[in-house]
Amino acid sequence: MSELIDAITNIREDEVLRIVRHRLKVGQDPVGLLDECRAGMAIVGERYQTGEYFLGELIMSGEIFKQAMSLIEPKLAGDTRIETIGQMVMGTVKGDIHSIGKDVAAGLLRMSGFEVLDLGVDVAPEAFVEKLVDSGAPILGMSGLITPSFESMKNTVDAIEKKGIRDRVKVIIGGGIVIEQVRHYVGADAFTRDGAEGVKICKEFIRKADR
Amino acid sequence: MIQETMTSWERVQAAINVEIPDRVPVLPMQTYYFACRYKGLDGYQMVKERERAVRAHLEVYDELGGFDGQVIPGISFVFPRRISGIIAEPLYKVPGVDLPRDSVLQHDEREILLPEDYDLIADLGWNAFAEKYYGKFNPRPASKILQWGERQTARYVDDIKVWNEHGVPVYKGGEVFSPLMFFSMFRTLQQFTFDLYRRPDRVEAAMDALVEDFIQDAIEEVRLTGRTWVMLVLERGGCFYYPLKIFERFEWKYIKKMTEAWVKQGITPLLHLDQDWTLNLPYFQDLPRGCICEFDSCTDMFQAKEILAGKQCIMGDVRASLQTHGTPEEVQEYCAQLIDVVGKGGGFILSSGCFVPVDAKFENVKAMIDCAKTHLPAQ
Repeated sequence: MSELIDAITNIREDEVLRIVRHRLKVGQDPVGLLDECRAGMAIVGERYQTGEYFLGELIMSGEIFKQAMSLIEPKLAGDTRIETIGQMVMGTVKGDIHSIGKDVAAGLLRMSGFEVLDLGVDVAPEAFVEKLVDSGAPILGMSGLITPSFESMKNTVDAIEKKGIRDRVKVIIGGGIVIEQVRHYVGADAFTRDGAEGVKICKEFIRKADR
Repeated sequence: MIQETMTSWERVQAAINVEIPDRVPVLPMQTYYFACRYKGLDGYQMVKERERAVRAHLEVYDELGGFDGQVIPGISFVFPRRISGIIAEPLYKVPGVDLPRDSVLQHDEREILLPEDYDLIADLGWNAFAEKYYGKFNPRPASKILQWGERQTARYVDDIKVWNEHGVPVYKGGEVFSPLMFFSMFRTLQQFTFDLYRRPDRVEAAMDALVEDFIQDAIEEVRLTGRTWVMLVLERGGCFYYPLKIFERFEWKYIKKMTEAWVKQGITPLLHLDQDWTLNLPYFQDLPRGCICEFDSCTDMFQAKEILAGKQCIMGDVRASLQTHGTPEEVQEYCAQLIDVVGKGGGFILSSGCFVPVDAKFENVKAMIDCAKTHLPAQ
């Protein structure tokens, strides 16, 4: 494990930034640095999924990664393409302004290689549909903490069907209180109360879509 | 129906004392929003049309067949006559004003306090800091803020009176955050987490300085209302959020200090433990006797019973979504399981996991209440 990966996985902010600055200064390849940062984040994600790390470490490592990226990105060539395993649209549904669960899930998905198009909180069904159409993303993740959010989730699934794209979009709903009965009511393909499990489900969606 | 030999108050007190009551007490948490919606009031009316809402609340209580009292009598809060108690005022989002009319009251988390405030609070304590600097987090004149707080307190006391006249006990007299919950809410979860890594000593110094003010605020609130429970609002310090080393340094030592101080004063601390606290449960064995550990369905209740049996009263935890999208049979089955396992040997209060959701099905809430009245713990 490189010094940089070790510093990221052990949440040592100052050390990560010092290493990145130094390596950029001596002319190291920014793409290689980016890969190392992403490798470190993947390990953080794994540690979260196995229960070794908690949300706090995810939040802090995400911040460290963001700062490292702000140093690396200006050095990347304009045509550098960052590989992802898939794209998905996410948001907390209309009428609900809670963001923590969504942010956790989005962070884990990014660490696992997804490109997450995060629409924020209180997102209307039409906004979800518009983003799914524009991006062509094959997965929609909807989050909600309060029970009235279930109605908004259902309205969003209905809007996707009405738009005629339901057959190409897999829908997963998440939040601390969702259960199978809610998934059924909403018409989603999957539900989860656990961010790590959510990543596995989304990877499975991508794997099946690639067949 | 189980033959009742205790009053609701006695039954609840037996559970708190980890004794075996005549039947398991049932206290759905905060039935106000649910009752109002059931009677056709929208979110705006729930907040603004007080008389109608109070009437709806009473009617639904009766239609449910009654239960062992109201933990929270309405939607008002209790504030000692100090600016420091009402920092949250600008964060409330009201249906029909800031949110769609048929939404529910929500808390819009924003960065109200800044990193430099840790040092000021460490020097002054919370109350003196808030008196001196309230303009930093609330643009309204102090007199207006205080009037708002007084109105809230007066309404809270009125709500207690209404229920008592209806023959229903009310339990909660005060409510405060733990220091960790407080800073997490008013710095935001993200910024506060950064603080824990970047400036932990300054965070701890501020917590050390404000905890005594919070203890005294709760005692003052209990004095104002004449009710003996203090709800200690906890969510952000458990194992969903942070490892145990953070919990031990920034949450547990303050929980212990606060609960010990209150129990000495004859107050019942209601630890409102939202989110997952399963890994933290062993610590709660060392809480003073006379607390209630209330879970919202994210913590494993059966593990809680294994760890806390004979030591602490456990309360909870019918999941909100089971109340909205389950069937009465499913609710009954889960409640019976809770009564059999968690209720065995006493020390259990059956309740909703956190508040009864606004859109809960009436028959599901009734199924929870009826189960407590009909199902004795399996021996």
